[in-house]
Amino acid sequence: MSAVALTVNGKAVTGDVDPRTLLVQYLREHLRLTGTHVGCDTSQCGACVVHVDGKAVKACTVFVWQLEGANVTTIEGLAEPSGPLHPMQEAFREHHGLQCGYCTPGMIMTAVDMVNRKGNELDDPTIRHELEGNLCRCTGYHNIVKAIAAGAKAMGKGPVQPTT
Amino acid sequence: MSATGIGAAVRRKEDQRFITGKGHYTDDVNRPGQCCAYFLRSPHAHARIKAVDCAAAAKMPGVLAVLTGAELAGDKIGNLICGWMITSKDGTQMKMAPHPALAHGKANHVGDAVAVIVAETLAQAKDAAEKVSVDYEPLPAVTDPGKAQTEGAPQIHEIAARNTIYQWHLGDQKAAEAAFKAAHHVTRLDFINNRLAPNAIEPRAAIGEYDAGTDGLTLWNTTQNPHVARLVISAFVGIAPVGGAQNRPAGEMGVGPLGGVPHRRPWPRPCHSCRDGVRRRQQGHRPARQDHRQSRRVHVDVLVVGADLSLRHIAVRPV
Repeated sequence: MSAVALTVNGKAVTGDVDPRTLLVQYLREHLRLTGTHVGCDTSQCGACVVHVDGKAVKACTVFVWQLEGANVTTIEGLAEPSGPLHPMQEAFREHHGLQCGYCTPGMIMTAVDMVNRKGNELDDPTIRHELEGNLCRCTGYHNIVKAIAAGAKAMGKGPVQPTT
Repeated sequence: MSATGIGAAVRRKEDQRFITGKGHYTDDVNRPGQCCAYFLRSPHAHARIKAVDCAAAAKMPGVLAVLTGAELAGDKIGNLICGWMITSKDGTQMKMAPHPALAHGKANHVGDAVAVIVAETLAQAKDAAEKVSVDYEPLPAVTDPGKAQTEGAPQIHEIAARNTIYQWHLGDQKAAEAAFKAAHHVTRLDFINNRLAPNAIEPRAAIGEYDAGTDGLTLWNTTQNPHVARLVISAFVGIAPVGGAQNRPAGEMGVGPLGGVPHRRPWPRPCHSCRDGVRRRQQGHRPARQDHRQSRRVHVDVLVVGADLSLRHIAVRPV
């Protein structure tokens, strides 16, 4: 068993886990944060994307013991608790960027990271290239790309009031 | 377009939980006291199963049970039913072979489930699966639909000669043949419609929970057809369906029937299983390929006067 201590969504957490435990399993099974999803077993689908120390990481491809002392943000921690939605979340709703919703947490976390790295004015080719690590089986990606472009702009404008 | 009333865009209600990570997809459900099931699957496309030795696996840490096709048969748990009978063009019913939930005697495709290991955690179940010893006798296999129907091809099910379960037709053959004879030109083409796997991104998952008080079974499942799934399970375990089938607010992209193996012996704890990606594509999502042979009869001013389409469909059986 491995002892781990890290911060998840602002809270310090510790655990004693099988060393084979992936971060995604630790989040879903030990912390019961089930917003991060498993959609494949080949690290291709991106449904498991979270932020580790400010960068997008596929939670299925890292063991939790590797993250001793790290700061992890999941989809549940993106917006302030009982605060308004993050502009990127709002954009996905506004632009119908989801259908079944399974890939959506990973898409949103990847999108926020994309903006952090590439700025608020993202064109289609950039967004599509940066989304190569995220798969969607429902939407055909078109509305996801629209949502990300809009969310990127909105992230540059400060806090957003919810529309409904 | 107005903002309210007729013509207004209506926001989806489900998005709120999906964009905040608060959905209840089947694998998110965590029942009190639940244990985990893991399926051991055949690596062979076609093999006789001579023996399955579970003794070592059963002793592994955290293991609650190891079950095989033999136990299902011993408990008289029936085969999976087929909900759609097709009649061949000669009036006979399609040739339906028995379809046990766990292979018994023979594995008929790569990924055919041979045993299920139930343990406290998935990691323990997987570790125990490595200790199950299966004595396979590999048999010749065939993967091309055309070759599967030739004389001498490996026979998968005794009941279906030349691996043909039905021959069905639609239309007027005599009229078509007459049109062929009268046509100025006949073109024949063979198409292969490549193998398709529906492959929704949400993996196939199921949780079965037995209530001893009511002798009832509740199933959480990634299916778009809860009523059909309920009927199939009822027939399978011999428990009559009671009350309504509820579509829980889980992910909407489940495809196909259950993933768990109900056990007729009262099982005191909820049991959770979830397919991983490779297994899903191997056998969970009905990959199907169609070979088409098309002939078109063409009139001189390029008007298609008739078509004759012969279609051969190979399907991996769903579980």
